[in-house]
Amino acid sequence: MSGRAANIRRGLGLGLGWRVAALKNGFRDATVYRIEFISEIFGAAFVPAAIQAVLWYAIFKVGGATEIAGMNYSELVRYTLATILFTQIRGGDHDFELMEMIRTGQLSNYLLRPVGVIEFVYIRGVASRLLIAGICLLLGMGVGIWFGLSPGRMLGAMFLAVLGNVIHYQIGSVLATIAFLWEDAYSLLMVKNMAVSILSGELLPLNLFPEATQWVWKSLPFYLYVFGPAQYALGHWSHVEFARNLAIAFLWILFFWGAIRISWKWGMKTYVSVGG
Amino acid sequence: MTPVIQAKNISRTFRSTQKGEGLKGALGLLLNPQYRVHEALKNVSFTLEPGSFNGLIGANGAGKTTLLKILSGLIPPTTGEARVLGYEPFKRPIDFRRQIALVMGQKAQLWWDLPAMDAFDLLRAIYNIPTPVYRERLHTLTELLDVKHHLNTQIRRLSLGERMKMELIGAILHWPNVIFLDEPTIGLDVLAAHKLREFLRVFNHRERATIILTSHNMDDIERLCSRVLILRSGELIYDGAPGGLLREGERRLRIRFLKTPPLETLAQATGISPELIILESPDEPDRGGNIEDEPAAEEQKKDPEERAVYFTIRHEEIMGLLQKLMSQFTIVDMGIEEQSLEAVIQRLYEDEKTSPPEVHS
Repeated sequence: MSGRAANIRRGLGLGLGWRVAALKNGFRDATVYRIEFISEIFGAAFVPAAIQAVLWYAIFKVGGATEIAGMNYSELVRYTLATILFTQIRGGDHDFELMEMIRTGQLSNYLLRPVGVIEFVYIRGVASRLLIAGICLLLGMGVGIWFGLSPGRMLGAMFLAVLGNVIHYQIGSVLATIAFLWEDAYSLLMVKNMAVSILSGELLPLNLFPEATQWVWKSLPFYLYVFGPAQYALGHWSHVEFARNLAIAFLWILFFWGAIRISWKWGMKTYVSVGG
Repeated sequence: MTPVIQAKNISRTFRSTQKGEGLKGALGLLLNPQYRVHEALKNVSFTLEPGSFNGLIGANGAGKTTLLKILSGLIPPTTGEARVLGYEPFKRPIDFRRQIALVMGQKAQLWWDLPAMDAFDLLRAIYNIPTPVYRERLHTLTELLDVKHHLNTQIRRLSLGERMKMELIGAILHWPNVIFLDEPTIGLDVLAAHKLREFLRVFNHRERATIILTSHNMDDIERLCSRVLILRSGELIYDGAPGGLLREGERRLRIRFLKTPPLETLAQATGISPELIILESPDEPDRGGNIEDEPAAEEQKKDPEERAVYFTIRHEEIMGLLQKLMSQFTIVDMGIEEQSLEAVIQRLYEDEKTSPPEVHS
């Protein structure tokens, strides 16, 4: 291939070779310690689900309620089961990794490689999530058929959850740039994660929010991580609503792509590459 | 020949917050942070030829790493201009990144939990190296550095020397035209350092890559570099061949006294500047290794009478000096040595503490 053609190919971002290699490498890295990997999966999904299960039991079985926000016990249990699948996808900790790299100067190792740092860190970090997404998709489809849910909807919902994962990392990448200024952005990323736990629908269905506060989660992208996919998979969203939210997800991705470019361009001007 | 690296009046300042002691200091940092501006580089200018092997030396904080960071594109200069391979480094265009490598002895670049082989495989894909070429290079590099049998071991389980060799392989698998090496032999034992040095020499010779090496080990500099740049407090005070640092006819006169007088007394008695008189440790007569090492506490406790004294002096002045010394002190042993680069550099570093730098070229 001529140098010019290679440049054009690189310019268009079509160099799949390193991306595939980074995915494979990231997966190997994530699974070096198998027990840690498996316990992370179970911990991340089953703890919020267990909290929900206890809550529904207390409200419906102990408290004697028959319905909350138009949903009965079995609907809420189905929602909880669906969130187990999508919570697995919603995000990793590679935004924390970016922040740590800025803080310690390890970012320098990546800046001199001929690949985009943010994309590279994402691809390496997302590898294990994609594997989990695949497993969850198969599980979801299998269990969904048993419950009479559409496999097509499950596929669409999983796609939306993966877009949610991208958005989650993008937000983390923008927040991580605070480390250029303050050297640390850990608490900021933790606050983001706590907000995500509540506003993604991972802990509670978002339609339980009071009517007056619904605008909060609707105006943020977090509901696209878990609540949105669960709504579509369970048949609570029409195809049109799904398409509209898919478009919203792409708009958020576009918005944060711009935000990353601006914040990192600014951040790199203040980067001092400490340590060595 | 067009220079491969050009530095034109490069200056760089850093601003850092100052924290006072205790609770008061912590509160002060929160409410009224104080900043200190440090000038790491001051108007540094030089050019380097393609294929040259260059040593960049200076005491801690002299600005060596800052200069490498600027030339590799990690940070911009505050003022001045740098060009490497015709590019402005801080813009870091992809083609520039494909042609350079930076190895920092104190920073791991490979992934800690993975075997080196996995990392190299990823680097092959990143740099789009054709598989047969990659295999051949990996074979050559692992043979030269003698780490073939460690390729499938997790990086975290390797010794420091093995890890450093793997870092070096990872940094140059793409056959860069310019290599920045920041203390690559730091912490290595004599054998590992020798192996690494030999490898760099062969690589530079075979591939004609331009190399800038920073090291506190004068062995590295003397054996590898055809040119030396010395930084002192951010200023370039010497740029030339290592031999140029050694003044013609200059010798080291080693004297052991029955009772070693203080350096000031010796300076007064001989009329030689105190900077040209060095008190050596009996354990370490040649002061090998790291020239910046502070004398060990144990060494300082030893009786100064056991130590030899080195005078830096011109050949024709030796007799006169000996006469002066013998008239006032009892000499038990003496010898004349060629001046070493290490001693000259040590003197330059010591001057830093006492006088503003003089510019040589």
